[in-house]
Amino acid sequence: MKQKISALALSAVISLPAYAVTDPLESPLWDYMRKTFIGNEPYVFDDQVKVELPEFAEDPTQVPITVDASALSGDIQRIISWADLNPIQHIFTYHPHPDIIPRMSLRIKVQQSTAVRAAVLTKDGVWHIGGRYLEAAGGGCSTPSMANADPYWESHLGEMKSRLFPREEGGRYKFKVIHPMDTGLVDAIPEFYIETISVRSEGGEPLARMELSPPVSENPVITFDVRDASKKHRIWLRDNGGNEFEQEL
Amino acid sequence: MKKFTLSALVAAMAIAGTAQAGVTDKDILNDQMTTGDVLTYGMGLRGQRYSPMDKINTETVKDMRPVWAFSFGGEKQRGQESQPMVKDGVMYVTASYSRVFAVDTKTGEELWEYNARLPDGIMPCCDVINRGVALYDDLVIFGTLDAKLVALNNKTGKVVWKKTVEDYKAGYSITAAPIIVKGKVITGVSGGEFGIVGKVEAYDAKTGKLAWTRPTVEGHMGYIWKDGKKVENGISGGQAGKTWPGDLWKSGGAATWLGGTYDADVDLLFFGTGNPAPWNSHLRPGDNLFSSSRLAIDPDTGKIVWHFQTTPHDGWDYDGVNELVSFDYKEGGKTVKAAATADRNGFMYVLNRENGDFIRGFPFIDEITWAKGLDPKTGRPIYDEAFRPGNPADSKDGKKGSSVHAVPGFLGGKNWMPISYSQDTGLFYVPSNEWAMDIWNEPTAYKKGAAYLGAGFTIKPMNDDYIGVMRAMDPKTGKEVWRYKNYSPLWGGVLSTKGNLVFFGTPEGYLLGLDAKNGEVKYKFNTGSGIVGSPITWEQDGSQYLSVVSGWGGAVPLWGGEVAKRVKHLNQGGTVWTFKLP
Repeated sequence: MKQKISALALSAVISLPAYAVTDPLESPLWDYMRKTFIGNEPYVFDDQVKVELPEFAEDPTQVPITVDASALSGDIQRIISWADLNPIQHIFTYHPHPDIIPRMSLRIKVQQSTAVRAAVLTKDGVWHIGGRYLEAAGGGCSTPSMANADPYWESHLGEMKSRLFPREEGGRYKFKVIHPMDTGLVDAIPEFYIETISVRSEGGEPLARMELSPPVSENPVITFDVRDASKKHRIWLRDNGGNEFEQEL
Repeated sequence: MKKFTLSALVAAMAIAGTAQAGVTDKDILNDQMTTGDVLTYGMGLRGQRYSPMDKINTETVKDMRPVWAFSFGGEKQRGQESQPMVKDGVMYVTASYSRVFAVDTKTGEELWEYNARLPDGIMPCCDVINRGVALYDDLVIFGTLDAKLVALNNKTGKVVWKKTVEDYKAGYSITAAPIIVKGKVITGVSGGEFGIVGKVEAYDAKTGKLAWTRPTVEGHMGYIWKDGKKVENGISGGQAGKTWPGDLWKSGGAATWLGGTYDADVDLLFFGTGNPAPWNSHLRPGDNLFSSSRLAIDPDTGKIVWHFQTTPHDGWDYDGVNELVSFDYKEGGKTVKAAATADRNGFMYVLNRENGDFIRGFPFIDEITWAKGLDPKTGRPIYDEAFRPGNPADSKDGKKGSSVHAVPGFLGGKNWMPISYSQDTGLFYVPSNEWAMDIWNEPTAYKKGAAYLGAGFTIKPMNDDYIGVMRAMDPKTGKEVWRYKNYSPLWGGVLSTKGNLVFFGTPEGYLLGLDAKNGEVKYKFNTGSGIVGSPITWEQDGSQYLSVVSGWGGAVPLWGGEVAKRVKHLNQGGTVWTFKLP
């Protein structure tokens, strides 16, 4: 039912209780963000798109978030995640693949308390918007990265550590990569961040792909689920400085 | 009416179509004579820095006005030694700290910028400068302070490819503009103060794949890549140990830090090499090839075709990096394929660019002490050993050799700032400086990533009222035709034009336009910070434009000695100024 809503049927959405028509998070920037990321395309607020956040962002430079769109699995064209009140709103854009479950966790920086969103574009052309409000002390985007005080990253840039956790179905990969993920908002430190992450098959075939923005935390820790844990996978990264890294997970 | 609009539109699209074309090898070879663009460092691969434009001339220049100024912004306002490039209404200009900006040439508005994220451990000896980009196809290519080559898309500023040329932790960096020859991007490296090994390398400009590498210190193997395979391509100088004692060649310096030029007539690259390492010459008896030399290199293979060493066994930091500028002149009815260079050591040299033969050499500064002159046949300096810093081993405690007062000082009769050759006057315009130094030697040993000098030094002005001298030099006679004196040292490049003008900037902030024939000041405008960049000129919508980057910095304020008090009040900056006639 939910998957069948088309642009034409949108006016009928108003009568369906499952969907809110006004922003449930009452963000002052909702309309602006909507235009920025999904334009005038049809959308619904949909509880099936889950954004999981901590009660309070203790450390505004490392806020764990999980976006879970597995309820719409198989029907997804693209996922975009953003934080309304961050100076750089975009967090990531995700391009799915049948082998990878559309559920991912990572850590982000937040500048102040904000709505954190995930917009899932389904194959019928409708955006399903999920989100939650994050309470935070803030300042995470304009704080110099730890890398700024410690040259460790200079000789370890792009180094990755990963682990596979077996699940009832498939497996869960968690990997960490050394990268300053500088936002460019700190004086005299240019923006320097991983732009693209690609999960690849053992043979190098690109599976799911993520485009990241600088609000992803320093030394990104990213978790994603694969349907078949018996297959080997690789991770390929490229940052905006043109550095490329690739490693078997 | 409608028809007219449509055909006008088609015409406009056709123009836009050609205007969008990528830079080709042919465009680069023709750059000096095509006035609508500036595609090469040196305004032509020969490095003549001469423009055939004359709308701005000795009569009209008084009306020249700024049309826009563009700030690099941020807190990185220092050391802007860049020469801008212009293509299809876009200016590509580098700034300090490995930044690149694309600017609309009509409005001065920024189109994009690229900011390299530099590690804290970079080791530029002489300020965080950059001298410019190379353009090829749809790429904007430049070298960074952490010794990488980066190719950016000319529309977006995004990285297309990036290659590590060398390890910045060993002291390597890149400050010179690369050049493009036959589809290859050619670069040198900086780092001669850290005991690196200089080299020239060629990369495929479109992909960044390494094509060949040529070390500039005798004894090191060169390589060429054939079908993706690395193949030995001959040891530079044949074998190790001919002109170096022991294993000092392993950290011999000879950094190619100022890049190079190319002449299509003889199909040779010309790269200069820096001082041998360490500065203390008593540790390395011999000529120390190929330090303080000009090298002619085959662009296809990376082989050294000829070399000319200006300061064998250098003991004064007289780098031989200065640009070798190709030019032809007539003598006895015959055309001489010559090339000229004004060296750090105070002598200007005219060479046969086909084979490196010495034609003539002459001082271009008022006093030289370290050499009594040049051998008239070979051009080899006739040393005055009284002016070589003493050997520390001869001192009582072995810690400090006797100090000498040597002229010119280590910053040179001319430093990096490029000369210009006017095809109209047949003169070279040489930005020079009159200064001396006290220099003494100390023991030293090589350690990776540490300064490798074995010398102490301090620079001193020769005159109370000036250091900088812009000179018009006649390469046929060695005579100075005119001079213009400047209180502080000159540290920026020169441009000459068919409008009978010579343009350059001063640390005091002035852009100056001088009469090319007599040195009379025809134009003066203060840009608000010291000029240490190189001016360019180009044509747009029927008008002649001129641009120069303003932003004090470079080596002078870092190594100032007694010179420091003449420049310490100068303010830093980072602005592109663009001028035209009203």
